[in-house]
Amino acid sequence: MTGHILELDKVVGGYGRITILNGTSFRIRRGAITTVIGPNGAGKSTVFKAIFGLLNLSSGAIRFDGRDITGWTPRRLLEAGIVYVPQGRNIFPELSVRHNLEFGAVAAGPNITDMPARIEAALDRFPSLRQKADVQASTLSGGQQKQLEIMRGLLLDPKLILIDEPSIGLSPLLVQETFGILTELRNKGITILMVEQNARSALQMSDDGLVLELGQTRMHGPASNILHDPRVAQLFLGGAMAEAVGS
Amino acid sequence: MAEFLAYLIAGLATGAIYALAAIGFTLVWQTSQMINFAQGEFVMLPAILILAAVKLAGLPVWAAAILGIAAFIALFGWGFKLVIVDPMIRHGVLPLAIATMALSIIMKEGAKDGFTAEAQRFPSLVPQETVSFLGISISLQHIAIIIVACLAIGTLQWFVTRTKTGRQMQASAQNPNVALILGIPVAQMVMLTFLINAALAALASILISPIYLAKFSNGEVIGLFAFIAAIVGGFNQVRGALAGGLIVGVIDSLAAAYISTSYRLAVPLVLLVVIILIKPEGLFGRKEERGV
Repeated sequence: MTGHILELDKVVGGYGRITILNGTSFRIRRGAITTVIGPNGAGKSTVFKAIFGLLNLSSGAIRFDGRDITGWTPRRLLEAGIVYVPQGRNIFPELSVRHNLEFGAVAAGPNITDMPARIEAALDRFPSLRQKADVQASTLSGGQQKQLEIMRGLLLDPKLILIDEPSIGLSPLLVQETFGILTELRNKGITILMVEQNARSALQMSDDGLVLELGQTRMHGPASNILHDPRVAQLFLGGAMAEAVGS
Repeated sequence: MAEFLAYLIAGLATGAIYALAAIGFTLVWQTSQMINFAQGEFVMLPAILILAAVKLAGLPVWAAAILGIAAFIALFGWGFKLVIVDPMIRHGVLPLAIATMALSIIMKEGAKDGFTAEAQRFPSLVPQETVSFLGISISLQHIAIIIVACLAIGTLQWFVTRTKTGRQMQASAQNPNVALILGIPVAQMVMLTFLINAALAALASILISPIYLAKFSNGEVIGLFAFIAAIVGGFNQVRGALAGGLIVGVIDSLAAAYISTSYRLAVPLVLLVVIILIKPEGLFGRKEERGV
């Protein structure tokens, strides 16, 4: 199936009386990596919360795979094939790596019967986590914790991964490794929507870029176009980049 | 020496009761960050409800026990969470703490006015006899309390660490936001901790009432000592609450025997002050940081 997997249509929402999303609209291509950039307060992380049912919307609609998913609960969205990896550390530090991983299967419906095998396969894919499968997750490095979160999200075979600031707190090497994992997932057909402060690196490995400002879509198109747009470079990618593009 | 061991066993028995109540404190704290100041009355009331069902409704003891415990868990597990905790917790911890203080007064006065102010005999699970072992005279009731409480705590520990539901409960306590995005039914898990707390209180009530008799004021000391036990052991750890309960029980028993029955209540408080000064997270607790 081709086309668009996710569509936001004039979504309005926020926290209490503060409106963050002011009629946000965009469509995300199936099987692509799309990076969302924008200044602080643009609504980047809030968009993810809106998609994942963690924000009360005052109007607008969200469609996924042709279905209206506005107001769905996180559990129902997981079952539908959306996974959300928020920014920061999202593990349960006092539980073992294996038990953390098992939580990725909580929303598995009756049709998924091979979950133990999936967990073992996931551990096989990351040997460093396999070695620590039965120790407390708090002993993992920052990069391993992020790998664990991604791994956990993959257990349900998602169609769309929402990942917020995956590079926060990681060394440049681990950032590249994490981006490599995301590229690999894209190559397997999984759609990835990512918010990333490290905008230049993220756009370089993305297919599409999306610029949000004041809760509205300002630009949306191929990542290379966004990356080389002088206005974007000036505002979000640093002056040196802007000068380089300008020259 | 024999006398010391007898006091030690008696202390372990009452300590096991404090541990049951203290574990309830810690479970509710971990999932809701609230302290239930009516916890002592939670231990007092089930025995009163059972006796009321026997005396006022004429039920046999076994039926009264089933009905009383079920009614208590429904009212003070499910009902407590829905009627008091949920509406109050959005206004902060302090209003909720005050609400539980008010609840403790209502429960105590309600038991006195609705049933009786007199201490009532409560049927025991085992004969009120003693057995001699190595020259020590040990109460069968004390032995039964220690065994039943240990079995209950062991079962709870097994449930929390070895079952999927128990681990979901832990996850909901450790990081409710992440638990929610993984599809864990966080609200149900939090409710489960309140039901377990009520069940532990009911068990403690049935175990302790044959010794202390069933009386409306029983919750005062039990609530205070369970609170101290939870802090001494570590408010965020079940094993800490267990250790804290046993330590406080033994200290209370030995203080009554060797220091003074009049000042026995003060000794665990001294222990509490020492622990707060030396190891504020408790003997087995972990340090917690909270953002503002």
